[in-house]
Amino acid sequence: MFKSKIWQIVKYEYTRHVFRRRFLFSLLSLPFAVIVMIGATLLIGRVSTNTTPVGYIDLSGALANPVEQAPSDDIFDPVIEFRPYQNRDQARADLESGAIQAYYVLPEDYPQDPNTELLYQEEPDSSMQYQFADFVRNTLLSSEDVDPQLVTRLTDGSLITIYSLDGSRQMRQDQWYQIFTPFIAGIMFIIVVMTSGGYLLQAVVEEKENRTMEIVITSVTPGQLMTGKIIGDIAVGLTQLIVWLIFGWIGLKVAGNFFPFLQSFSLPSGYIAGILLILLPAFVMIAALMAAIGSTMTEVREAQQISGLFSLPMTIPFYLTSSIMMNPNGPVAMFFSFFPLTSPITTLMRMSLTVVPTWQIALNIGILFVCAVFAIWFAGRAFRLGMLQYGKKLSLKDVLRKRAE
Amino acid sequence: MSIIHVNNISKQFGRTKAVDNLSFEVRPGEIFGLLGPNGAGKTTSIRMILDIFKPDSGEISILGGPMTEEKKNEIGYLPEERGLYQDIPLERCLVFLASLKGMDEASAENKIEEYMKQFDLYEYRDKKVKELSKGMQQKAQLITALVHDPSLIIIDEPFTSLDPVNTEMVKDLLEQKRDEGKAIIMSTHQMNQVEELCDRILLIDRGQRVLYGALQEIQSEFASRDILVTPLAPLPDSLPGVSEINKLNGRYRLVLEDAAEPNHVLKDLINQGIELTEFEIAVPPLTDIFISVVKAQEEGDHV
Repeated sequence: MFKSKIWQIVKYEYTRHVFRRRFLFSLLSLPFAVIVMIGATLLIGRVSTNTTPVGYIDLSGALANPVEQAPSDDIFDPVIEFRPYQNRDQARADLESGAIQAYYVLPEDYPQDPNTELLYQEEPDSSMQYQFADFVRNTLLSSEDVDPQLVTRLTDGSLITIYSLDGSRQMRQDQWYQIFTPFIAGIMFIIVVMTSGGYLLQAVVEEKENRTMEIVITSVTPGQLMTGKIIGDIAVGLTQLIVWLIFGWIGLKVAGNFFPFLQSFSLPSGYIAGILLILLPAFVMIAALMAAIGSTMTEVREAQQISGLFSLPMTIPFYLTSSIMMNPNGPVAMFFSFFPLTSPITTLMRMSLTVVPTWQIALNIGILFVCAVFAIWFAGRAFRLGMLQYGKKLSLKDVLRKRAE
Repeated sequence: MSIIHVNNISKQFGRTKAVDNLSFEVRPGEIFGLLGPNGAGKTTSIRMILDIFKPDSGEISILGGPMTEEKKNEIGYLPEERGLYQDIPLERCLVFLASLKGMDEASAENKIEEYMKQFDLYEYRDKKVKELSKGMQQKAQLITALVHDPSLIIIDEPFTSLDPVNTEMVKDLLEQKRDEGKAIIMSTHQMNQVEELCDRILLIDRGQRVLYGALQEIQSEFASRDILVTPLAPLPDSLPGVSEINKLNGRYRLVLEDAAEPNHVLKDLINQGIELTEFEIAVPPLTDIFISVVKAQEEGDHV
């Protein structure tokens, strides 16, 4: 039956926030911002890429049988038409009229003589120059009757995957962008924690402000009330997170059409499990600390200012990115991954950079679990002491020293 | 068997003794008045009964033992510090608070609907609590104290902000609960309500018990030897056994001689052919008892 009372509080706390316009707004604002950003990037990419054809005058005849250019699947690197010209006058006239953006002149002895001219009015994009280089290379190789697969290997290079010695980690060359995962996950974690922590803080202070306290406390224990509120508000945070992840997943699928390299995006399951085991207790710990602060404060505004103090240490690892990246198993990285408030982000970063010894991850999770339990206990105590002290602040000393009334 | 048994409880806040060696009991089927001047320790006593505070010493037995979580469902409480969740619709607020008392949602909804209709709140059920008037919030809070049909009801100033119609309704409701065998502790400064409702009272001052017992007994203890009469014609200047006759507003207050009996005075009046519409042994108003007792306490302190 007591479980069901906790459940009632969870349900109340959850529905109170989730079915509010404000929550819906904050829920949709992030994906909306991301969509706008992606849209703007695509637009800028499209606009800034010059797709005007490029001419070439081949004095050597090496490009007599040009290969067909492969269609591009990258919107930032659209295929540019390469147009052969017989003489410089005509090419120059087209350049001046704007029909072409530039033209190359290959010398008579090409490829023995590599001195190629490029004439333009405005310097073309480097991507166009890479495309022309590929075009020339492919055409030369095709005339030598080389296996087309070999051509591809020669021009594209190898796909290198790095494995750690114990085989627990691997990193593919074309998945370099996964280095950003801990940053994105970290920022999302902080936003979610601060949001649900903020709700919790508000809920606890309100409970004191509107004096419902005495009725509630003669119905349930402070522990039940705190547990219910913490679970409820964490559920609100998780709802937010899940909705964002769904948006992110959809976004990734959509973006994969434009940026093919994103299609290979994947995270090893061990990494995800590790992240969850670290983030969940950290989440509970911070939420409970927020509740404890709420119990000792008398005004929502004041409490929110104090809660800002939590987000600061949480972001410290971001400032230390370079030092953690240089030496992910070094003393700095280790210290910050054991300190409860910096632990989530630091460990996220380390795990994506190196093999973190299992004992360290276990110790990390252990520390966070102990801290989470302590924080809940602390919150319950602060609440019990603070609940009837309307309009009076409670000091840390009071909470730790006073025997529970 | 008593529902609450308080035995020698004391509670100190800093250097002030809020409650000092207090004992009393509350029985089922009675309305028990908890009275006292401001700061006497009434709220502290209630909070100790409800296990919000623990007494420094002494024991409290509630529903036959120490407070447990199950027993909380058996208690209805209207605290001195009024408060409901402000930002949600009235009905949801009431259903949530009822569910914390162990009611399942369906029966909570039914019962709350019934009460809201009785209290004229039904049409406001979808309004946010903060949009309701003070009196409406007061009624809503009373619903919260009563909806789960508790066997112990503790109410602090139940009649504030209520109009006369609602006051009567709440009084009837409390009497009905008493007749059902519930125990009701009522703390109030409205002495006329205490006189009308309470079976027994406890008057405390500075944390200590000053008066305790059945209201009628206390009142007769404090009764002076006065008689109130309302005759149709003016009374003669002197009456046998009466030492003093005071006229007040068509009524007379007769102060009896030490040996005289009210019965004899009545007989004399009838024998003299004086027609009466009222003959009453003057019971001192509780307010007077309250004031005289509290003043006596203060004077005792100064000696």
